[in-house]
Amino acid sequence: MNRYTENRRGRRSQALLTGLALASVALLTACGTTQGSGGGSSEGPKAATELGKTEGAVSILAWPGYVEDGSNDPAVDWVSAFEDETGCTVTSKTYGTSDEAFNLMKTGEYDVVAASGDASLRLVAAGDVAPVNTDLIPNYEGIYDFLKMQSWNSVDGVSYGIPHGYGANLLMYNTEAVKPAPTSWDVVFDKSSAYKGKVTAYDSPIYIADAAVYLMAHQPDLGIKNPYALDETQLKAAVDLLKEQRVNIGEYWSDYLKEIQAFETGDTVVGTTWQVIRNSLAAGTKAEVIVPEEGVTGWSDTWMIASEAKNPNCAYKWLDYIASPEANAQATEYFGEAPSNQAACDFRSEGSCESFHAGDADYASKIWYWSTPIAECLDGRTDVECTDYSAWTTAWQEIKG
Amino acid sequence: MTVDASAPPGNRMTVPPPRDTLGRRGSVFLSLHPRLRLTLLLSAPLFWLGLVYIAALAALLITALWTVDTFTGQISQTWTLDNIITVLTGSLYQTVTVRTVGVALLVTIVDIVIALPIAFYMAKVASPRAQRILVIAVLMPLWASYLVKAYAWRSVLSQDGILQWLLAPFGGETPGYGLPATIITLSYLWLPYVILPIYAGLERVPDSLLEASGDLGGKTGATLRLVVLPMIWPAIIAGSIFSFALSLGDYITVNIVGGANQLLGNLVYTNVGAANNLPLAAAIALIPIVIIFGYLAVVRRTGALENL
Amino acid sequence: MSAENPAIRLTGLTKVFGTVTAVDHVDLDIAEGEFFSMLGPSGSGKTTVLRLIAGFEQPTAGTISLFGQDVTERAPFDRDVNTVFQDYALFPHMTVLENVAYGLRVRGVSRRDRLARARDALETVRLGGFGDRKPSQLSGGQRQRVALARATVVRPKALLLDEPLGALDLKLREQMQVELKELQRELGITFIFVTHDQEEALTLSDRIAVFNEGKIEQLGTPAEIYDRPVSPFVAAFVGTSNVFDDEVSRRLVGHGGLHSLRPEKISIGPELSPPATDRTALGTLAEVIYVGSSTRLIVDLDVGKRITVLEQNDAHRVGEDQRGSRVSVGFQDVDVVDLESATATAQQ
Repeated sequence: MNRYTENRRGRRSQALLTGLALASVALLTACGTTQGSGGGSSEGPKAATELGKTEGAVSILAWPGYVEDGSNDPAVDWVSAFEDETGCTVTSKTYGTSDEAFNLMKTGEYDVVAASGDASLRLVAAGDVAPVNTDLIPNYEGIYDFLKMQSWNSVDGVSYGIPHGYGANLLMYNTEAVKPAPTSWDVVFDKSSAYKGKVTAYDSPIYIADAAVYLMAHQPDLGIKNPYALDETQLKAAVDLLKEQRVNIGEYWSDYLKEIQAFETGDTVVGTTWQVIRNSLAAGTKAEVIVPEEGVTGWSDTWMIASEAKNPNCAYKWLDYIASPEANAQATEYFGEAPSNQAACDFRSEGSCESFHAGDADYASKIWYWSTPIAECLDGRTDVECTDYSAWTTAWQEIKG
Repeated sequence: MTVDASAPPGNRMTVPPPRDTLGRRGSVFLSLHPRLRLTLLLSAPLFWLGLVYIAALAALLITALWTVDTFTGQISQTWTLDNIITVLTGSLYQTVTVRTVGVALLVTIVDIVIALPIAFYMAKVASPRAQRILVIAVLMPLWASYLVKAYAWRSVLSQDGILQWLLAPFGGETPGYGLPATIITLSYLWLPYVILPIYAGLERVPDSLLEASGDLGGKTGATLRLVVLPMIWPAIIAGSIFSFALSLGDYITVNIVGGANQLLGNLVYTNVGAANNLPLAAAIALIPIVIIFGYLAVVRRTGALENL
Repeated sequence: MSAENPAIRLTGLTKVFGTVTAVDHVDLDIAEGEFFSMLGPSGSGKTTVLRLIAGFEQPTAGTISLFGQDVTERAPFDRDVNTVFQDYALFPHMTVLENVAYGLRVRGVSRRDRLARARDALETVRLGGFGDRKPSQLSGGQRQRVALARATVVRPKALLLDEPLGALDLKLREQMQVELKELQRELGITFIFVTHDQEEALTLSDRIAVFNEGKIEQLGTPAEIYDRPVSPFVAAFVGTSNVFDDEVSRRLVGHGGLHSLRPEKISIGPELSPPATDRTALGTLAEVIYVGSSTRLIVDLDVGKRITVLEQNDAHRVGEDQRGSRVSVGFQDVDVVDLESATATAQQ
């Protein structure tokens, strides 16, 4: 009897489950359809030709530390001045990864976004951001020329934003554990076995470009011209190199605090880093950073305007304001990167511009700025299809194993 | 009877009859209709369970059957088994699944081995006062943030951490960051979830049963094996479900102390976050769900679930 | 009773829990084959003595010996005594047969032998067909018998029973009392029976120890305990007693001191025709309580003492309508127990 009642109960709950499942299918399909029809318009959005009256508000999506209104630290505030000046009230949201920013922009709730090179092109391709008319931004004048109209902030000669700050992914090493002092990335690639278990690398598919930069110098036969434009063979070579490296990796990092700690404790002795990490290490930590002879990858962030911005005029005001020497200096110094405005260094604290090599065009030219790899090769090749970011993502997972 | 008759009539009215309010009428109605009462009581939790839990699972399953346009990030609702096939056949997923299950099993075993004596001491040896203190002590780590604890272990396991300092005099050294560190940290994190059900299970074993076993000639080992273990088996299973399921889904701990290793959770995370490939993430997320269902099915066969 | 090697000998046995002395210097010899009861209210220390004998508790002081061997330091599984627990303590995850066979199993008896012997033991307690059931499928009385079978199948030298009938209803209880007595006779081993039910103790026992506040208040046969209680405590705890203080004694018994008198030893009659007994007194009938075979009468004596009288119900029983009427009561000198002199004797 017991068994019988149990069976009956079982059948009833099964029916209930099926019903619920069907209902949720219907629900999802409905949601999906409305979402699907939104994006991907074939005709790109147009840039503004003139500015109108400010709307009184602007909504900004940015990396942490880019839009500080004093709520995190009363001494760190460049938003209030903007609000007083323009009457545009700023609401802001921060994000942790380029991919998160990419997803958040799809909500249509933001007028302005600060995007790195590995998100900017995707935003342009998805039609989420509009071209920016730099004529409407007086402070654009003061931006370093080597940052203007680059592959990550312009498409077909059309500017999609204003450069903000930039930095390089450098090689950091423990001066006691790594001797002689390295000059090449080979200490984290071909010669990394000497530091087995104490090598680190940046935990993102975009790190494949670091391997490509290394291969450009050491395996010229592969013909890599741009580390973000890899065909199948080139990607495979980079992946193989990274798989060899994987054996000697102690840990990957994406949280920069994690790397600071690992270098301080000696758990990591060599690997990629940012200047700000070196600057944040506890006094007495035996670590140096260098730009290896092969060159480096890096980032250059761009302020972009949403294609369906509700407050385009305030958005333009913000782009102009944040490109001004004072604001640019404050924001980039707080985050720990080089400013984009030539005059910004006058407003930064003593020595801070030097440590980030601000304005050093030679240094900047060694940097391969993050770009989103796309099928259409960024280096101009047309005879071959390049591997896109999703291929890189899959490859990265396989490298980590 | 005589008392009742001689009492003045006013005395009887000291307690006025309840007023006939709407609320009271509702209560009367409900007390007369137990089925309706039950429906009202259960509808909210059932709605929650149904919508939030089961529907979310169903949604996951469905998402796994879609694909994503990787460049624009749009989900396209063409039905396909590609993701499922990728997950089933890709060597990456097989390797990571085996690694994850291995970690989860080891964590579970370590936790049970540590939890049994602690729970036994708490339930059967300690004085009531010590028992209360111990329960609080076991629960205390749960008051601290998961991240804080994981980072604490990161520093303990570091090259110049406390473990290295402790082991160095004996010629040992810290395992460093990696899978052993992950197992240690996860074991620590889930230990309360394993101790508590076993403790509760032991509490339900009357002391007289242990005494009866000893009285009949059973030595400590026999008592534990023949009486205690079979009786708390369901509790051990309950604890193991916690540690096993929680370990299967973890991705933060392994990120913090796991060195370069990744578990299933990291693959899900990367696909949702970095790769923006929700369908593939959903397909990967099905792996631990299937494993857990398999585990529950095995456990059910042993009959342990009937006593839960 | 061999004074040399009693089945169980307790010497100066003391157990202190924190600040409470549960057992206070108990000396006791229990003979082989004796049905011995430990009687007392809850908290009197009787159960603790039993647990000390079983080995579940370690004494604070004193020794326990079984058949001349000191077992004070031994673990429960090293003592040749077995216990029937108040809650029976059957293993819920085992069948009835496995429960009974458990003691043999842990002693390494082969599976065939132990199951055969367990089946026999179940037969003796008339549970032959119940071997495959789980304890939860049995009634209270059946569980009780399983517990008995489980404890006796290993042939202990003494069986300790901790209020084994406490959870049973009256009818079953009386039936089990008979069965217990028969079982004890059959096995011929010492039974130590803990109870707070004086009637049960009187019915079953060869000897009774009455416990109060960790001490043995009186030790003797049921008749001695009942007829000659040595203290107001025993008089009041074992059966019902009318205890007279010095003042009342002087006026009722004729001399001072502390005395007790059983209700059934008192005769009652109308005020004008007192019973023909050594002593009589007058009073008012305060309450009449019919209890089946007898009637309990509460009488307020004129000397200022309320007493209880138990009358067998015969043709002319006292009816409820006589409440409030004047009565005379009477008793024989020989039935009056002098508690003070008895206590004095016991303490020598």
